Amino acid sequence: MSEATGLLREPWEYFERQRGAGKFGIWVFVASEVLFFGALMLTYTVCRIDHQNAFAAAGRETNIWYGTLNTAILLTSSLTMAVASQAAAAGHHSRRLVISCLASTAALGLGFLVVKAFEYKEDIDKHLVPGAQFALHEVGAQLFFGLYWLITGVHAIHLTIGIVLVVRLALLGQLGKLQLDENPEVEVTGLYWHLVDIVWIFLYPLIYLPGRAS
Amino acid sequence: MSSEGAKLDRNVWKLWRRNGAIWAALLVLLTLSLALAYVPMGLLTPAAGIVIAVAKAGLVILLFMELARAKPLLRLAALSGVVFLTALFALTLADVLARQ
Repeated sequence: MSEATGLLREPWEYFERQRGAGKFGIWVFVASEVLFFGALMLTYTVCRIDHQNAFAAAGRETNIWYGTLNTAILLTSSLTMAVASQAAAAGHHSRRLVISCLASTAALGLGFLVVKAFEYKEDIDKHLVPGAQFALHEVGAQLFFGLYWLITGVHAIHLTIGIVLVVRLALLGQLGKLQLDENPEVEVTGLYWHLVDIVWIFLYPLIYLPGRAS
Repeated sequence: MSSEGAKLDRNVWKLWRRNGAIWAALLVLLTLSLALAYVPMGLLTPAAGIVIAVAKAGLVILLFMELARAKPLLRLAALSGVVFLTALFALTLADVLARQ
């Protein structure tokens, strides 16, 4: 508690109140993001109900290895983020552990973006961008790839913001300009990071798995 | 000082063991989801993908995000997203699936 008092900000009288308010705020934000991505996934669902065969054919064109690798990368980044967040919250004076876990999280996030960039390059080469040059002829396949570019693009923007937030914490912690032990900023950033992971967990079966069995 | 160091090591080991087990379960579910996608089971094939995604998200939300031991206010805030999402899907699909 004595260490945490350095982290107390206006308008809170007690550190526990401040911490609770931060967590409550990010959970409300997470709920609003659930609705944002949920609306996009609902649009996908309605389009898929109307064009089942086209969505199966389009899903087969995605690169399942890039998709699976990226899912594993994000799940692993959630592990390092969870350890960083819990170690910081427990106040074990484990500054080195928190910083190295934050750095690993950011590196895994960057790795995801690099794999995604290779995948986007392949998609563009295969003419999977909706438009006059589009490769597939099934009616509705362009809807799949329209949603693919939109949703994965918005997800990548979210992930980029997450990387910036995590790198900020790691850098300030390393430079000694921010106390990471018991700092709610680590937990709040972690909750945002897990949200981005959860969105991808649902995108994986929607984008990469359709049409594999047929 | 050395006993304090040993205590820290023990705590760190506990952290990795607990979260590592969740991570391993997540990777097993990912592999299962990938394998099941190639098994022709009609509508059950896409359903399996979604059910496994729900299980994975459940692990992340309850254990990594620690909602399982969070205060009721936080659970309520988290639940609100799911409640409105359910309404969104239920009302839209009630229309779409009832057409023709």
